[in-house]
Amino acid sequence: MSLQLRRISLNNFRKFREPLTIEGLGEGLNIIIEPNESGKSTILEALRAAFFVRHATKNQLAQSFAPYGEAVAPEIEVSFNIGADSWKIAKRFLKSPQVEVTGPQGRAQGEEAENRLQALLGFVKDSSQRGDPATYGALGLLWVPQAQALEVTAPGSIVRSSIQATLEAEVGTIVGGAAYERVQKRIDEQYDIYWTPTGKAQSKGRWQAARDRDQQARQAAADATMRLDALEKSFGELEAASGRLKVIERELADETEQEQRAGLVQALDVAKAAAQILETRKAEHENVSANLDRIEDLQAQHEAAREALRVAGESLTAITADREQLASQLKAGRTKVAEAKAALDKARDDRAAARQALSEGEERLAKRQRHAAITDARQRHTKLLDLEKQLADARNQAAQVIPAETLARLDANDRAIAEARAAVNAGATTIELTGDATGITIGGEPLTPNSPRTLTGETQIALGGGILVIRPPATAASAEASLAELLERQALELAEWNVVDLVAARTRNDTARDAQGTVQLLETKITALTPAQPLLDLAAGPDALKLFVAGVPTESPASDEDEISIDLLTRSVEEAETAAVRAETLYDQAVQDLREIEDRDRPLAAEQAGAERDQSHASDRITQIERKPDFAGLADAIAKAREDAAQAAVKLAEATRDATAHDVQAINRKIETIDSRARAGQIRRSDLEKDIARLEAIIESEGGKGLASLAAAAAEEADAATQALARLDEEAATIKLLKDVLDEARGEASRTFVGPVAQRARVHVERLFPGADLSFDEELGLASVTRSGLSEACGTLSKGTQEQLAVLTRLAFADMLLEQGLPVSLILDDPLVYSDDGRLDLMTEILEEASQRMQVILLTCRDRAFRHLSANRVQL
Amino acid sequence: MRFLHTADWQLGKPFGRFEPEVRAALGEARFDAIDRIGEVAAAQQVGHVIVAGDIFDTEGPEDRVIVQAVSRMQRYPCRWWLLPGNHDYARNGGLWDRVRHKASDNIILLAEPIAQEMEAGVWLLPAPLLHRHHLDDPTELFDSMETPGAKLRIGLAHGSIRDFTARGETKNQIAPDRAKRSNLDYLALGDWHGTLKVEPRTWYAGTPETDGFQRDEPGHALIVELAPGVEPKVEPVRTGRFQWLLRDWTLQDSAAFSAECDVLLSAIDPAATLLRLSLAGITGLADRVEILSRLEEDLRHRLRYLDVRADDLVGRPGEQDLADLKVEGLLGIAAEKLTETIAAGGTEAILARRAIERLFVEYHRGSQA
Repeated sequence: MSLQLRRISLNNFRKFREPLTIEGLGEGLNIIIEPNESGKSTILEALRAAFFVRHATKNQLAQSFAPYGEAVAPEIEVSFNIGADSWKIAKRFLKSPQVEVTGPQGRAQGEEAENRLQALLGFVKDSSQRGDPATYGALGLLWVPQAQALEVTAPGSIVRSSIQATLEAEVGTIVGGAAYERVQKRIDEQYDIYWTPTGKAQSKGRWQAARDRDQQARQAAADATMRLDALEKSFGELEAASGRLKVIERELADETEQEQRAGLVQALDVAKAAAQILETRKAEHENVSANLDRIEDLQAQHEAAREALRVAGESLTAITADREQLASQLKAGRTKVAEAKAALDKARDDRAAARQALSEGEERLAKRQRHAAITDARQRHTKLLDLEKQLADARNQAAQVIPAETLARLDANDRAIAEARAAVNAGATTIELTGDATGITIGGEPLTPNSPRTLTGETQIALGGGILVIRPPATAASAEASLAELLERQALELAEWNVVDLVAARTRNDTARDAQGTVQLLETKITALTPAQPLLDLAAGPDALKLFVAGVPTESPASDEDEISIDLLTRSVEEAETAAVRAETLYDQAVQDLREIEDRDRPLAAEQAGAERDQSHASDRITQIERKPDFAGLADAIAKAREDAAQAAVKLAEATRDATAHDVQAINRKIETIDSRARAGQIRRSDLEKDIARLEAIIESEGGKGLASLAAAAAEEADAATQALARLDEEAATIKLLKDVLDEARGEASRTFVGPVAQRARVHVERLFPGADLSFDEELGLASVTRSGLSEACGTLSKGTQEQLAVLTRLAFADMLLEQGLPVSLILDDPLVYSDDGRLDLMTEILEEASQRMQVILLTCRDRAFRHLSANRVQL
Repeated sequence: MRFLHTADWQLGKPFGRFEPEVRAALGEARFDAIDRIGEVAAAQQVGHVIVAGDIFDTEGPEDRVIVQAVSRMQRYPCRWWLLPGNHDYARNGGLWDRVRHKASDNIILLAEPIAQEMEAGVWLLPAPLLHRHHLDDPTELFDSMETPGAKLRIGLAHGSIRDFTARGETKNQIAPDRAKRSNLDYLALGDWHGTLKVEPRTWYAGTPETDGFQRDEPGHALIVELAPGVEPKVEPVRTGRFQWLLRDWTLQDSAAFSAECDVLLSAIDPAATLLRLSLAGITGLADRVEILSRLEEDLRHRLRYLDVRADDLVGRPGEQDLADLKVEGLLGIAAEKLTETIAAGGTEAILARRAIERLFVEYHRGSQA
């Protein structure tokens, strides 16, 4: 049946500091359209407060109802119908809190009023601080605040149990109820003892303790067994050692060995005696043998010496014959050598004489040639002196030459003089006297008649008593001076070169140039006249010649006029040479022949000497041997010695046989073997005794610890621990299986009773998402949506879709609750904000249909979105 | 001539499989057996106790065990003739050397096969074991032992008689007609833990304090009276404190279990009883749960020790069981699943059987609470 809110009135509630009343809410679809911030959500909050929040509570939620900063009492009044019954709640919070519920049964206040409300609407007391919608029951699910509309919330347990009747009616009795809860709780508790929530074995608690105990007990048993084994090993070793000791002691006590040893010692004495005899026999035998050897040796030596004497004699005879033959040859050879030597000496003398003659001839010839050369040199010397005189003259002439520049200067001067003279002449006054000039002087000098005179300066001419002064112009006077100066310079220059005038100078220069040519000619001549003369050790040049001539004494010319024939002399020398060579060859040949003969004779002479020496030695040896005392009766002595030696050999053989039969070393070895065996036995016995003592000590110390019983106890403890663990393992497995089965059963049951919810939701969802299938989890929460075979978890869907599904599932629950006969109303605060136009239309259509079955209140700020709906529109 | 014949004291046996307090009690009881034998000897005025081997459980017990044994024997005037058995065989430097250091005059160690004159004309021929296992019959040496002037010859040996190899505990086999062969008036044997008469002159005394689930009888010692040319008179005397019971019960329901329980408890001293109980049969699940919970919550606490083997007691969920669970919805589904697994068999089935049992246990536990 629908719960129809009719009137809501609030005062001092949150932002509504002034009283507010909402009236005229109809039973179908109601839309409250108000802009943001106008308090729509507060109205829903106030409704929840009126119904579900205890009036007397001072929890945080209730505190938040008062307007901010004011200490007033929030008040709410709600009138509503359930079926045909009218109800009214009036609630006041915080200050003098009170509640009054008026219903068909009359009026109730305080706790009773609250209880009546709980019974009516099926919710439970909320003891939380901030308000727990899960305690609000069905209306908590269906009155959806702004933010929660987005969540696809699972219904709380109250809702689930509310709709259970419906579900059970459809699917039969399936939920275990109290018994199931109880059993499951206990199984869970036990499960927690053994298993972690993820299904792993608990790492603490009794199971682990059992595992630890098992582990430790096994370890302890292993340890104990190990220690016991060690002890048992010691026992075993002790037994073995004792056994061995017995054997060794038996061996040591055994007398056979000692008897054997005594026999051996006796044998050893016999053997030692035999060895002694053997040594003696050996010595005797050696002695006799040595004597025999010595005598035999003496005889042999004697015979050998005689043989040597004989051989030496024969040899000497033969050699002497050979040498006699050679002696004549030697004599002839020596004569021939002497002759050859004489011839050779003569040839050599001849050769020396010839060489002397040649040498003298050559000397004389040289002397004669030198003399001629000196004569020639003197002649040339004379010529040279003459040439050198000419050369000196020529050189003097050549030296008179005046240098060209001087000559040029003279030339220039001469031209200047001529010019100066002309100048004088031009300015000068020329006077000439004709007639008698006696008594007339000029310048004190008599004037010569008919010889013009040129005057250049003031000139006084004494004419009788008078004096005529003539004064030429002044220019003449300066020209006169210049000329004089030039003339003086010219005169000086000419005087310097010792020439009279320029012509003389030129003539002298020509002469000098000719003399220069004469000098060269003469020098060439002198060079030709004075070549080098090797014969006289004379160098080229006039000085050498002059020096040579000055140093050579005047000698008389060679007196022999004979022709000296060098060829003849040379031929004589060659002939003498040839003769000497031949004489030398002959001499050499003679010497060679003599040396050959001597070479043949020399070894023969040596052999002869050797043979003579051998002969002498052999004779001495024979004499020496024969002089020895043994020599007399030597043959008898030898015979006797041989007999002695034979006897000694027989005795030696006997002694050797005896000694071999009694081998001392072998006997000693046997004794040593016996002794060392006894020694080893004693050492072994001592070792074993030590070992035994050690083992006994170990056994004594370890034995008292009761290792065997400890080991047995530990083994049994280990078994017990293992069994205990096995029991716990079994227990844990049992519990686990049981829990699994219980969970499985619940899962199956949930799936079974989720079915109807899904069915109802599907009716709506089908319109929005054709072909989609919803799956709910055990808590009736929407888990996933399957479209075209693809399953999507709820959380991954778009916000719009999530919201639409949330609204639709709520609608499904509302329907079920409605069938249940529970009071139901649907309030959506600002819903479907994310929906597109198409879906919004569909959703509003679905809501419109739902409003046929229950009261639906939409709180929204979007006028346009819901404008088309035919609904009861309410203003605040 | 009278003497006590005992054997297989197994002193120092660890009982490691038991809880510590049970273990301690069982261990202590073995020493107490010595006292009881001593007391019997004193009461019966018997001068000799001959112990046919396995006095100690191992060849290497703790010193405490040796001292306890020796000091207890010293308390009584009788002479104790101790023969090394296979558990406590004699060897150089071994157990018996340690005992010898601590023993007093009334304890005679028979570590060598040499006949001993117990009283004038009464010769004891011991066949001590020198190894854990002898391949030869150790009693063959009896024939070579000198017993000058013997009126009575008593053989003492440890090992099994050839005849019951299947039941014998060691390889140390003894000719069953040794007494006749060696001209013995009595052959005192050890090794077999129950009292057993092999033939009139050959007896196993059994252990004085039972140490395992083999037979129901508690431990005994034998009082033997010998006279030349007469068959011995042998009289078992109880010395054991603890009874080790083996029970196999086949049950159909919890009522049968109750009946068996009553019968058992009426016959025993529960504090001195160790019970190994094997259950078999097919019951309803509820019955099985009830039986097991009675065992765990009642019988286990009454007895000194309880070892239950209930694997063969098959708790099959009955119609009613399953119907009960079925109304519980999910529990019914779970039970069904487990039943299927059980039906499929295999190792999983064993686990599933336990699981379903557990499910019932928990279900019932809740409903009773």
